[in-house]
Amino acid sequence: MKETIAIIGGGPAGMEAALSLAGRGYKVYLVEKTDALGGHLARWDRLFPQQDPAQDLLNEMIGKVREADDYIEVIYGTELQYVKRRMRGLEVMLSNQTVLQVDAVLVACGFDLFRAERKEEYGYGIYENVLTSADLERKFKEKKVVCHDGRTPQKVAFVHCVGSRDEKVDHTYCSKVCCVTAVKQACEIKELYPEAEVFNLYMDLRMFDRYFEQMYHKAQSHFGVHFVRGRLSEVSETVDGRIQIKTEDTLLGRPMKLTVDMLVLMVGMQACAATAELAEKLDLKVSPSDHFFETKDLFLRGNQAHAKGIFLAGACTGPKSLPDTLQDARSAAESIHRYLTD
Amino acid sequence: MHERFANAFDPFVIPYMIGFVFVIAYLVGALCYVVKQLPLSDKKKMLKHLFSYKIFITVKDIFADCLLHVKIWKKNKLLGYMHSSIAFGWFMLILVGHIEIFFYAPHRVNLPYYPIFFRYFMMETETTVGGSVFFFLMDFFLLMVLSGIALAMIKRLRRRFFGMKRTTRLKWNDRLGMYALWCIFPLRFLAESFTSHISGGGFLTRGFGMVFDWFNQFINNDALIRPTWWAYSIALMVFFLTLPWSRFTHILSEALLIYMRNAGIRETSKNNGYASVEIYSCSRCGLCLDPCQMVSGASLRQMASVEFTRNIRWGQRAQALEAASYCLMCNRCVQACPVGVNSVQLKLNLKGADIQYRYPHRYDYVESDAANRPLATTPAWANILQSGAETAAVEKTTGEAAPEVVYFAGCMSHLTPGIERSMVRIFKAAGVGYTFLDEEGGICCGRPLMLSGDRIGGEQLMARNTEAILATGAKTLVCSCPICYKIFKDTYKLEGVRVLHHTEYLLQLLEAGRITVRKGAETGVYHDPCELGRHAGIYKQPRDVLYRVLNLHTTPYEGKDALCCGHSIAAEGMPYKKRRMIAKDALKKMTEKNVDVVVTACPSCKRAFAEIGTVGIKDIAEIVCEQLVLPQAQPQK
Amino acid sequence: MKDFGFGLKKSGVIDLDGIDWTLFREIAAEEPSFMNCFYCGTCTATCSAGKYTGFNLRRLQLLVKRGQWEEVAQRIPECMLCGKCQWVCPKGVNTRHIVMLINKKLHARKIC
Repeated sequence: MKETIAIIGGGPAGMEAALSLAGRGYKVYLVEKTDALGGHLARWDRLFPQQDPAQDLLNEMIGKVREADDYIEVIYGTELQYVKRRMRGLEVMLSNQTVLQVDAVLVACGFDLFRAERKEEYGYGIYENVLTSADLERKFKEKKVVCHDGRTPQKVAFVHCVGSRDEKVDHTYCSKVCCVTAVKQACEIKELYPEAEVFNLYMDLRMFDRYFEQMYHKAQSHFGVHFVRGRLSEVSETVDGRIQIKTEDTLLGRPMKLTVDMLVLMVGMQACAATAELAEKLDLKVSPSDHFFETKDLFLRGNQAHAKGIFLAGACTGPKSLPDTLQDARSAAESIHRYLTD
Repeated sequence: MHERFANAFDPFVIPYMIGFVFVIAYLVGALCYVVKQLPLSDKKKMLKHLFSYKIFITVKDIFADCLLHVKIWKKNKLLGYMHSSIAFGWFMLILVGHIEIFFYAPHRVNLPYYPIFFRYFMMETETTVGGSVFFFLMDFFLLMVLSGIALAMIKRLRRRFFGMKRTTRLKWNDRLGMYALWCIFPLRFLAESFTSHISGGGFLTRGFGMVFDWFNQFINNDALIRPTWWAYSIALMVFFLTLPWSRFTHILSEALLIYMRNAGIRETSKNNGYASVEIYSCSRCGLCLDPCQMVSGASLRQMASVEFTRNIRWGQRAQALEAASYCLMCNRCVQACPVGVNSVQLKLNLKGADIQYRYPHRYDYVESDAANRPLATTPAWANILQSGAETAAVEKTTGEAAPEVVYFAGCMSHLTPGIERSMVRIFKAAGVGYTFLDEEGGICCGRPLMLSGDRIGGEQLMARNTEAILATGAKTLVCSCPICYKIFKDTYKLEGVRVLHHTEYLLQLLEAGRITVRKGAETGVYHDPCELGRHAGIYKQPRDVLYRVLNLHTTPYEGKDALCCGHSIAAEGMPYKKRRMIAKDALKKMTEKNVDVVVTACPSCKRAFAEIGTVGIKDIAEIVCEQLVLPQAQPQK
Repeated sequence: MKDFGFGLKKSGVIDLDGIDWTLFREIAAEEPSFMNCFYCGTCTATCSAGKYTGFNLRRLQLLVKRGQWEEVAQRIPECMLCGKCQWVCPKGVNTRHIVMLINKKLHARKIC
């Protein structure tokens, strides 16, 4: 057997990197803190831009990981305790007291969703009909997209940039995927309830990737989704439990109010809770501006951490879409391979 | 005891006399200038005070504050000793010196320099009772002053011994005055010691004089005597001549300030004569630096009150205005000031004077709307206890039953729906008939305008709100925002309406048994909002409420020592990043002990700390609402 | 160039070549956060005055940046300085200070 690699995080990035490395004959320990693989992917219903079922992708990946069990050992319910540098490679101690002797560590701990409660003026956690994009996705998955009291929503509004591009919560960056997710979910609502009026409150629509602009076009021309350029300022609840929102239609230059049955907050990505702790244990650098891990550079060493033998993949180095994450994971595997064969 | 020189004069008294005459002239001029600026009513108060029995209180206060520095003693013993040893010691030297003159040379009383240079002109032996007593007293107080001067020197190097993390940085004028002051007493000590073999002296001067005598037997001349008296006189002159331009002006103006304050003169909305006295009373002691969170939390030392008063004194209007626009007006510095300079009011007045350089605000657009605003859309108070919309409409048209309470959430509370919702639930649970005046968004209470210096603008909004509040007929006004509360309570004229912040109101509901709460398992600390605490004195009520609903812990930053969240509406000029630094620093200090939740009673404070996001932040209304025991919830099933 | 005879009517075109940039520069120098705005309109949406009148802080800031002061001068005294806009601004713009500064600068130039 060739060299051994520990991967922290069993989400899409961790799994894809594990598969890449296994394909090259390396031994991989896939360390997952929960008792299931998949990360955020496991909680998603359908994937932009072409509405592929998330479950299919997840099943395929998990199946491949199982098939490669000669090379990949998944360790569930465990976190990294500490790492010690040895003469050759690294010694990784896990929270279940397992000690792994490895040659490289790949951190793929992913992201956390922004806690929407922090924007109190948006009423999340106060008003029942204010949801996050993740809550709505769960409703789609459960095939029960209704208001809190069971009614079918007649009017739904999506609020972009919740916890992104917002200095007040110290997240000054764009989370990249919320715009397209909002358009996806708006279309899905219209598919489900063609009579419903759906609004998107955006600041800038960032439809930068392949097929994204087509989705936006379809949302407007096919589904009749309304796009309002303005950011939500505050919400209140009407007597019948609907949500009244205030924004400005900045293209008309006039304040606007709107009452909806369901308000969906497009929560952005933030560095996962373990970032600071992992940074300390592994001697990694965290960006002071966005709090994600820093890589050595953004070009040829985009998967290398500042510490020797430690690599980074996926959304732990900044917001990424799923295709970007998978590519980043494969590129990390390539970086590790080059490092070990150098 | 007899005089050494019949003409009772030596040229070295000339420098002192120049300084002395100058100071007296300055004092008279400054007093006239100050009094001239005062309004007539204040002038009358000043004159009346002179002949009232309260003058004795003033004398006592001047003695306690200007000489003994009682307030500084309370802060730090060593710092207190330093200040009072110099001030009180010097005063006693002057006093005992004059008594000595009366005793021994009453015919010289008219010579103002005579007590200053007494030991040169008069000789005495310690063998007489009078001599020994005076020698001892004079040397004792000289030693006292010298010890104070020594401490002052040490303070410049090691301020931590004096309980200060920071002290002021001095400019050349203050330095000159300070060095002159430092020189006066060591020089006097030397001069008296050198003269002591002729004129006699106490334990200190004669003691050192004997050492000097011993040297004298080798060199055998008294050449050093007159030069040291000259130097002493010159040091006094320099100190006096720089007095109007140095921090030591406070020695004169502080006494005047106490007199004026005791005469009943107060800060007004304009910086007039009283304000000048306040500005000149700032001794630049720097005791306001450590409490200032702009300094400790955001490295904005140049914005501290001590620098503001300096800027305003020296006519640096732009810098003073900038400092005023940064100030949080949390009042921590005012509270720390041993002289009682209300620098926050001075800043407000400066901002107010700047309003003339702006177009006046115009709020005629709310006027037309104000009349039909209250109760026009949703008579929320009538909805309580599910009485239904129809009855509400009937009640409104028949004009029956004014609501018990008018609730004014305030602009900021619209951004904290958790507070509003909790208050509405509490009103309903208590069966209180209420109207939610600004449910659909109201107009501002006017305090933010006042804090920007714009009284006229503020008064326009006050008039509109007064109409709307009185039109409800409610006898109790409950507000959720301490900023609104402060102005409703202190500045509005709401005849027959009790103004309560919801902290007070919640306590009343609890004490009257109109709501019942259970005690949760949460641990928490309470953050006093500046506007509710230091500005309105509401400290006890929130704590009385909180100990019923959670495990309340204490921090060193409570009550009068509470910290500011950094997001004061007064500080329009402070950049967001600095505000955030202050909020972060304050939250860190308050959560040194691990707690589940930081409770506050102000929507602004709540938001400021919630933005940091390290610990749960709740309003007192939310905590109470969570722990409400609803009667119908108990027996079902 | 041919004169079409529209000379008496004021053109609707903003002539960025012809405007005086000093007002904008002075405000930006005294309150740097003036340059942070990305025109999301949250300030206008939350505005206490905007409910009653056409006061629109987002637009006013932009008008200052485009040299169109007359309209700004009409509106600026309507602000209540309540500070809600400052709280909701995602870019940390010191909106109250900007309102005060704009007012002061317009007053100094006697534009009303």
